[in-house]
Amino acid sequence: MSLELFAVFIGSSLRLAVPLLLAGTGELVSERAGVLNMSIEGMMLTGAFAAAVGAWATGNPFIGLLICILAVLPVALLQSVLSNTLRANQIVTGIGINILALGATTLAYREIFGARSREQIPGLSKWSPPWLGDIPIFGQAVFEQVWLLYAGLAVIVLIALVLRYTTIGIVLHAAGAEPRALDKSGVSVSRVRYLGVIFAGFMSALAGAFLSIGDIHTFTEGMTRGAGYLAIAAVIFGKWTLGGTILACLLFGAATALQFQLPTLGIDVPNAFLIMLPYLLALLAVGGLAGRQTSPRALGEPYFRR
Amino acid sequence: MTDLAADIIRRLSGALRPSVAISVAAVLVAALVGVGLIFALGVSVTDAIAAFIDGTLGTPYAIAASINRSIVFALVGIGFVIANRANLVNVGGEGQIAMGGIAATAVALYGHVGDLPAGLAFLLPLAAATIAGTVWGSIAGVLKIKAGTNEVISTLLLSFIAVWLLYWCVQSPQLLRKPMTSSATLPESLEISDPTKLPLLTGDYSFPLHIGLPVAAVITVVAAVVLTRTLFGLQLRAVGFNPIAASRAGISYSRMVMISLATAGSLGGLAGGLMLLGEQYVLKDGFSSGYGFDGLVAGLLARGSVVGVVASALLFGFLRSGGINMEMVAGVPTALVMVIQGLIVITLAGAAFFMGRRT
Repeated sequence: MSLELFAVFIGSSLRLAVPLLLAGTGELVSERAGVLNMSIEGMMLTGAFAAAVGAWATGNPFIGLLICILAVLPVALLQSVLSNTLRANQIVTGIGINILALGATTLAYREIFGARSREQIPGLSKWSPPWLGDIPIFGQAVFEQVWLLYAGLAVIVLIALVLRYTTIGIVLHAAGAEPRALDKSGVSVSRVRYLGVIFAGFMSALAGAFLSIGDIHTFTEGMTRGAGYLAIAAVIFGKWTLGGTILACLLFGAATALQFQLPTLGIDVPNAFLIMLPYLLALLAVGGLAGRQTSPRALGEPYFRR
Repeated sequence: MTDLAADIIRRLSGALRPSVAISVAAVLVAALVGVGLIFALGVSVTDAIAAFIDGTLGTPYAIAASINRSIVFALVGIGFVIANRANLVNVGGEGQIAMGGIAATAVALYGHVGDLPAGLAFLLPLAAATIAGTVWGSIAGVLKIKAGTNEVISTLLLSFIAVWLLYWCVQSPQLLRKPMTSSATLPESLEISDPTKLPLLTGDYSFPLHIGLPVAAVITVVAAVVLTRTLFGLQLRAVGFNPIAASRAGISYSRMVMISLATAGSLGGLAGGLMLLGEQYVLKDGFSSGYGFDGLVAGLLARGSVVGVVASALLFGFLRSGGINMEMVAGVPTALVMVIQGLIVITLAGAAFFMGRRT
């Protein structure tokens, strides 16, 4: 592989990993707080759709991004109410929300754009950081990316600091590991979990917007294609640590990038196998390649006061 | 007067089990939203409903096609219920159907089964489909036991893998794609030979009910009896309630997990085989699309009852057929059916709170 191609590969791996990184970080926060949020797939799809419609209607992708965040909020609230207040089965509600989001976005898309339109939608602009962007060969291929990528990375760094150094991090951890102790110390478990899910919704919205107005500048029906589930697998693979989750997302991103890269190298691997590769890796990952799993102790269990 | 009405409602709701009442209410609410959406789309509601009824009950063909579809949903749904007894959630129906379809096609086309007597020509492909589904379900079981992998995520990922395997099979001439005679050769398999097609109950193609119906009926009865009247059914439930207590009582958790996930997978595989040998005849990309989730929702809606699965599978079978006709005739996207299903799942999950499950 020539250096130029390698640079392109790194750049596209990063680009393809971004939706997973964003959604995966959101999911991690939600799971740390004790809510297994299966609905990030649906939230991402809703976000991708809302961002596309918003950008198309206003002609301004930034307004599209804001509309996207506002549109995902009710979905996140719905998941919160169901899994915290109504103490419903988190997996079942997540699947239900995903089916609803797929149906609703497809329906609305057909209504607004007509069946199978490929209309270009104004997308977010690219940005190249100073110095890094000037590195020969790698500068442009790797670092010239949609600004949302850098904004997202900044949010992830912020989350890393919050999780490690602040009370919020400890409270989140307690809500997922020892909700009763947290309750006794006077913090509302329910409130922490609500915020966790809503944060996951915010991150999924960004991830969805990145897919539609960041990456390909259009919306297609069901365009998330299981990215939300990959993000959940990344959290498991990363053993519920932020660093591990990020590495897993980058790995899945690279596996996805291979499907565009290998054919240009003249390596003849069936396309279907390459498309399948991230899911296969994710399965191996959650299937114990990462070792025994140590999920937050109260993950998936609704909390109630006795 | 209002007292009388209240009394009647009380008696009626006393006669119905609350779980049934909740399921019915969820379906009704979702259906109302569906009608509202049709209205919002600017389509004439009467046209849409006429197209819907025409697509479900309009012709003998429509009725048989709806029932054949319901059979698939019922099998996947029963698998879901069985796994759910052990407190497992199998969301891999789609992948299991796809694997069943691939295996059935492979054996029907290249297994030299066409000349075999006594129905073996279609029974062997059907068996292969079942085995393929069993294997697919068992992988999730093994991962659960050996690595503690949440079966929801593993069955979902297995579904994605199976769907791409199916794509691979029909894209590659070395696998199941029909010989490429020109660049216009479609990415699909050859049509399976006549002896390998499932016999129709009436022998009449205008009413194409196939032997999947009696097969599914037998499985339904067996599943209902096993779950409610046998020691195994009780053990499964014990594991579902409390794995630790169950293992103290001598019930192997691993064994129950394996059996229930493998059974769910086998029913999904069988469903895929029935679809292919009974109505599709040609393996195509995406032939399983949506069927797994419909079966899952049928299983959810049934709240653990096998009879309930049959009822909701029939409901969805007809809902799908009607939805497809609504799209073709009245221009209402079939995505509407997904909206309705999503609402049903969410309503049911949320309603559990009001059903005295306030532990």
